[in-house]
Amino acid sequence: MTARTLAPWIGKRALGAVLTVLVASVLIYGALRLVPGDPVLAVTSGRRLTPDQITALRHAYGLDKGFAQGYLAWIGDALQLNLGRSLTYQTSVTSLIGSRLGVSGLLIAYSAVLAIAVGAGVALVSAVKGGLADRIATVAASLTTATPPFVAAIVLLSVFAVGLGWFPSTGAGSGLTDRLWHLTLPAVAMAIAAFGVLARVGNAAFADELGREHVTAARSRGVDGAALIRRHVVRNALGPLLTVIGVLVASLFVGTAVIETAFGLDGVGSLLVTSVSRRDFPVVQGIALFGVLLFVVVNTLVDLALPFIDPRVTVGGPRR
Amino acid sequence: MTVLEKESAIRPDALGIDGLTLGIGSGASAVPLLDGVTVRVGRGETVGLVGESGSGKSLTARAALGMFPRGARATGAVTVAGVDVLAAGRAALRDLRRTRASMIFQDPRAAINPVRRVGDYLTEGLRARGVPSREAAATALELLEQVGIRDPRGALRRHPHEFSGGMLQRVVIAGALSTEPDVLLADEPTTALDVTTQAEVIALLKEMQRTRGTGMLFVTHDLDLAAAICDRVYVMYAGRIVEEAAGTALFSAPAHPYTKALLEASPPVHGDRTEIKAIKGRPRSLAEAPSGCAFRDRCPLAGDDCAASVPATRAHGTSAVACVRPEEVAR
Repeated sequence: MTARTLAPWIGKRALGAVLTVLVASVLIYGALRLVPGDPVLAVTSGRRLTPDQITALRHAYGLDKGFAQGYLAWIGDALQLNLGRSLTYQTSVTSLIGSRLGVSGLLIAYSAVLAIAVGAGVALVSAVKGGLADRIATVAASLTTATPPFVAAIVLLSVFAVGLGWFPSTGAGSGLTDRLWHLTLPAVAMAIAAFGVLARVGNAAFADELGREHVTAARSRGVDGAALIRRHVVRNALGPLLTVIGVLVASLFVGTAVIETAFGLDGVGSLLVTSVSRRDFPVVQGIALFGVLLFVVVNTLVDLALPFIDPRVTVGGPRR
Repeated sequence: MTVLEKESAIRPDALGIDGLTLGIGSGASAVPLLDGVTVRVGRGETVGLVGESGSGKSLTARAALGMFPRGARATGAVTVAGVDVLAAGRAALRDLRRTRASMIFQDPRAAINPVRRVGDYLTEGLRARGVPSREAAATALELLEQVGIRDPRGALRRHPHEFSGGMLQRVVIAGALSTEPDVLLADEPTTALDVTTQAEVIALLKEMQRTRGTGMLFVTHDLDLAAAICDRVYVMYAGRIVEEAAGTALFSAPAHPYTKALLEASPPVHGDRTEIKAIKGRPRSLAEAPSGCAFRDRCPLAGDDCAASVPATRAHGTSAVACVRPEEVAR
């Protein structure tokens, strides 16, 4: 793989990512237009608005223009990080999301680290040891995958926050240590389902590599123990693992909606929930767009990393 | 004094397998795999191990490295350059594999880790032994040159998928020789290659082995190939050695009905086209073999005495054969 073949390939990937975001943005914008009747009246029903406000809103969201024109105006603003103003908070949606991103970002990172460390660790041990360890890991993975995050949240809250009192039940705390302490239970609640997926996929990937002839061949050369596992099993299983991790991190973002509400955290997820219930559509649109962006960025990064992990992943399509 | 000269004082065989019996499980559910296999490879000698799939050839070769199937129990004796393999602990086995015995696998594409560079593959064993990486790289470079890889310096930095099968098997051979082993275990090293490449790889193997005085156990199902390149050939059937003969004698005077049947089942390269006779029935593993001689249900010469007990190995001409009536086996 040389720089000459790499540059156009990265360009292609980036272009694909941009197109995905654009298509998603059309859908997100179009959802507002699909509301039967007058969108502004429908989404602001129950709110007392003066005719001037309504006209202003219609103008702000391009509802007085055609679909194409309206979309172009909206996406143009969005590209300049202007996602409109919240109907509830009367502040800009961008700053609203931005101010809550810290908590959500830390929560996602925290729970991703937990899920990856424990999930991949359990996967490796169960694949290498086999037997009883493997069966226990399989049962644990099935149980955790089948546990909805809100159930995990309730159990964790009642045991560790209410019962034992080891962790706070609500709030995000201040300062890094205090914040991590506050975010531990929510991070665990989110990581539980992700752990199951990683433990299963990781186990399959590791077991697959362990059964390969090149591992037997390495053993026959006197490579064993940690060096064998690290150099010939974990290294080779990184590709499939990273692909799953990419999807998982993006889905953790979706999971924040439930968890942040359950633990009373002021993050993007709880903002989404309140905004939906208050029909604050600029905020909902903004968060949806942000979610799509995050998903696409993470998965594009994973795609870009794969040729470096496995040189057989050819740059620019099949070549063999 | 070179290593070879020093060892010539005692000079144990490169590989000695004596009465190796291998089985998985115990009691009623026990599955026998090998029964009393005896194979000897002297220094600088090429010894063939021939048989159909499932006859236990690869199991026997892997036993030399102390690599047994999970849960298998082995009795008998296996020594590599004087080292008792069956009694060796983890560390001793590791040292054995790093220094005394190397295995060459059937498919080089499967036997080399695809995500690591060829240089890494070639130097891994040396570095694990404590050789500095610069020195290990120099050794690898030299070996690549010897096995005929163009641009060896560039090859070190390339990945396995950038090589052809034949070139990759040369890399595997270089890797196997990098530790200067006493014995090479070649497990069907040319089966996955096309015919012209086969000839090149065989020539290379023989050349490397001859110049280094390494013993080689050559596992193959190709009787003609074994007879052509091996000093001695062992024929295996259902987990037992049924015949041991010099490479040349095997062809002219097969002593076991199975060897004869195998020869008749392969098309001749030279001479008139003769009818190819298939062996009736299908290959047996030791677990499903009949009592007494394992070949008797497929053997045209079998009589009642064949069922009595497993025929003992006895001398017949220059060969050793496990058959009660080798004199009736004429070519």
